[in-house]
Order: sequence, then structure tokens, then C-alpha cells
Amino acid sequence: MALVSLEGVGKTYHGRTGAWEAVRDFSLDLADGEFFCLLGTSGCGKTTVLNMVAGFEQPTAGRILLDGVPVERPGADRGVVFQGHDSLYDWLTALDNIGFGLRLRGLGRRDRRAKAEHYLNMVGLTGQGAKHPSELSGGMKQRIQIARALANDPRMLLMDEPFGALDAMTRAVLQGELSRIWAETRKTVLFITHDIEEAVALGTRVGVMKRGPGGTLKAVIPVDLPFPRERTSDAFMATFREVHALIHDEIHGAH
Amino acid sequence: MPSFTMRSTVRTDKLATVAGYVAGFALLFVIWHLAAAYLVKSILFPGPWPVFERALVLIEDNILQEQIVASMRRIMQGFLLGSAIGIPIGLAIGSFRIVRWLLEPWTEFFRFIPAVAMITVAVIWFGIGEESKIFLIAYTTVFVVVISTAAGVGAVGRDKIRAAQCLGASRLQVFALVALPATVPYILTGMRLAMANAFVTIVAAELIASNDGLGKLLWDARLFMQIEDIFVALVALGLLGFLTDRVFRVLIRAFAGRFNATV
Ligand SMILES: Nc1ncnc2c1ncn2[C@@H]1O[C@H](COP(=O)(O)OP(=O)(O)OP(=O)(O)O)[C@@H](O)[C@H]1O
Ligand SMILES: [Mg+2]
Repeated sequence: MALVSLEGVGKTYHGRTGAWEAVRDFSLDLADGEFFCLLGTSGCGKTTVLNMVAGFEQPTAGRILLDGVPVERPGADRGVVFQGHDSLYDWLTALDNIGFGLRLRGLGRRDRRAKAEHYLNMVGLTGQGAKHPSELSGGMKQRIQIARALANDPRMLLMDEPFGALDAMTRAVLQGELSRIWAETRKTVLFITHDIEEAVALGTRVGVMKRGPGGTLKAVIPVDLPFPRERTSDAFMATFREVHALIHDEIHGAH
Repeated sequence: MPSFTMRSTVRTDKLATVAGYVAGFALLFVIWHLAAAYLVKSILFPGPWPVFERALVLIEDNILQEQIVASMRRIMQGFLLGSAIGIPIGLAIGSFRIVRWLLEPWTEFFRFIPAVAMITVAVIWFGIGEESKIFLIAYTTVFVVVISTAAGVGAVGRDKIRAAQCLGASRLQVFALVALPATVPYILTGMRLAMANAFVTIVAAELIASNDGLGKLLWDARLFMQIEDIFVALVALGLLGFLTDRVFRVLIRAFAGRFNATV
């Protein structure tokens, strides 16, 4: 059975400018342990889908099941890495940010520190745990977000363009680390991006979304390439071109 | 060693700040001296030296200390009372829409009635003893603290709350561990503004109805034309206000996480 099932999910916002159907008839099964990359142009409804899986927002049509149970609210089984880094707690150190979920569960100070240190090292920030978010670079903050989600040991990770605001080099480094961490932990990942290369480098499957209104899943392409992925290999290029063609149609309006 | 260089630049920064303050105050006194000695040349405008000498006399006679303690005790009592009332109300207004609808008319109404205008009723209700002053300081503190606290709660980032929720936080935990600490800098800023109001209010209240305090010192000095006493009181007010404000700024910075605060 799939870990997460989206069954004909739709979301219509009712705002000041009237009703806006952001997502329509979105169906997808996520298997346990897979790394699913959701690709789409800006405004097509990617964040909306993620927010519904996270339980921050409710679908206005269809339903989302986690282990067969409808998702009604956010929970510790779904860790989220947010698009910006406003979600870190400025008044806590990097280490205490990472250990925040453990604190919520009442874990003692010593155990919490030890576990947080472990994840601090995992994201490559050894020795920087005493810094506050204001003393960290953008890339370091995203690492802290990832470590914070992982330390809580969720069943799946929901990541919303986690590397979107980073420079190309930092992004490549973090992609490599995320891939390695995923190989180690085998968490189910729903990873949102608008970077085709990123999607093909990280995902076991890549889903391409159709532009809104009524954004929906247009195609799903399996990526059967071994990790770590060789970005200059012919097989990688072929998959890249396949995804690129789908996105290209999307941008230039051929439906 | 990088950590050493960082710490030493922090220290030189602090030294530079303190040196700047000392130089700034010194300049103020020099200009005051020059103005009194060469510009105004009136016995109604004493220079810093006669005022300093007078202050020494007042300190020797234990008069200045008593007035400062009297005024500061009222300020602290009223200020703490007002904050203790204002913070929970502000948190409630910021957290619950119903409370906002119910209480916002109150705060929006009373904050335009200055404490100084309330002196007369305060004296009628509470007499000229301590109660009326504490009431007035608390009154002037409450509304500023309520408004900034409520604004702080409203300004907590949505992602901060969502992050806690998907880490498994209960509503109570979201409030205590996210909304509250995120609001602390706003609360302290409100208290800092309220403290400035408290100084205004206490002097006005003591001028009109009191047996001691810096306001009383000012009033008596006017009655007996002791011009130096007036200046001693004014300088004392300025210095006290300056020092309390420093304390608040340090607290605000620490809570905002810009320094390695141990909070
Ligand atoms: N709270 C809201 N109220 C009204 N409309 C909304 C709301 N949130 C999103 N939308 C609309 O829904 C559509 C999809 O938004 P969404 O944030 O999901 O896009 P996205 O694919 O994540 O884009 P990006 O790549 O730029 O982050 C947009 O047209 C947006 O205007
Ligand atoms: Mg988005």
C-alpha cells in the first residue's frame, strides 16, 4: 500500500479577488521510501499541494490519505522544510533549533543535545551549533531546517524548494548531501522544485505539473539511474531532455 | 584564532560605545558651561559647576537620594503592575479574535486620555499618598504594553508556527515555546516606551500632589527660587531615564537573539 495517496485532490481559494482554483483533480501515490520530485512553473500549485499533504490546509475536493487515514492536521510524522528560512527560531541556537522537536516530546537535555549534535554533523555543520540563525548563511539555515526535520524522525519529509534561493555551487553541494542522507535514512521524500536538473539528480520519480488555474499532475517520469548520479552521462541527459520537453510545452502553452 | 579575534572586536565595539557616551556627555556639559558662562550670564541659568556642587550638598544631606528613591520606587511599582496587567491582556488580544473585538475599543479609547489628565481623579479616588501615583504610572504603562504585545503576537511568522505544528507541538506548546518567545522583543519594546511615559507622569503627579520625590524637589525649588536645585532634579531625571533605557536595550537585544543570549 502507498504511504500517501492523493485522490482527485482539488483546492479552490476564496480570496479578495474571487474564487481561484489553484489545484484540480490531482492524483498521486507515494510509495514508502521513494524520493518524489514535483516540478512545475511558478504559481502552478506546488506549495498548495505540499501544504495539503502537510495538513496546513484542507483540500476542497478529493482526499489525502496517510497510511489509509485522511490527513486532517499537521503531525510529527511529516517533517517540513519550508521555502524560506523564516521558520527557524531566532532566539534559539542552531543546536536548540535542531532539538526543538525532541524538546516537544519531553526528551531530557542531555539526550536532546547528543541527538541534535548527531544531526548537526550529518548536515555538515560540526562545531557551529552555538550560533544563532542570524549568524548563519542562507545555505546553513537550510541545513539546520533539514536537520531539525530529520532529528524528529518523521516518516516522510516534505521539502518546498529548499535550495531555491541558493547560489549554484552551494546548491550542488547540498543536493549531494541530501542525496547521501536520503540513501542513509530512506525517508520518503516529497521534494518540490522548479529546477529540472535538480529533480533528475535527486528523484526516483519526477512529476511535472500543468500550469494553473487548475494545476494538476501532467506526467510522471521514473528515473531509474543509480546513485550518486552522473550528471554528464548520456542516460541522465536523456531523462533531462524528456522532462525538459514536458516543461517546455508547459511554458509555451502547448497543452 | 578566529574566536579570539571575534571576541576582542566585540569588546572594542563595546569600549567604543562607552567612550562615545562619555564623550557625548562631556560635550553636553562643556556646551552647557559655555552657554552659562558666556552666552546667558544670568543667575537664572547656572552652569554645571554650581549645580554639581549643589548636588554634592544634597547628596551629603541625603536629600537627593531620598527623592530619587521615592520617585523610582513609584515608577517601578506602577510600571511592574501595569506591565503585569498589560502583557496577559495583550497576549489574549493577539491570540483570540473575540478578545480583540471586546477589548480593543477599551484600549483605543483610554490610550488617548493621558495619565496627566487623570491626576485629578486619581487624587480624588486615592488621595495624595502612594496609591494615586502607582495608579497613574500603571495606567500610563498598561495601554502601551497591551498594544505592542498584541502587535507582537500578530507578527509571529506563519512558518514558525507551522514548523512547530509539524514537529508535533500542541496548541499550548505553540503558544509557550513559539508565540511567547517570538513576542518578547515586542513586549520589551512596549515596556521601554511605557517607561518614558512613566517618567513624564511621575514628575507631573509629584509636582501637583506629593510630599517627596523629584517632582516635589522641582516644585519646592521653584517656590524658594533655588535654581540650582531645579537643575539637580532635571539632570537626575535625565540620567535615571538614560540608565533605565540602557537596561531595556540590552534586554531587547539579548532576546532578539542577535547576541549569544542565555535565555
Ligand atoms: N492563500 C491563498 N489565497 C488565494 N490564492 C492563493 C493562496 N495561496 C496560493 N494561491 C494561488 O494559488 C496558485 C498556486 O500557488 P502556489 O503557492 O501553490 O504556487 P507554487 O507552484 O508553489 O509557486 P512557486 O514556484 O512560485 O512557489 C497561485 O496562483 C496563487 O496565487
Ligand atoms: Mg511555492
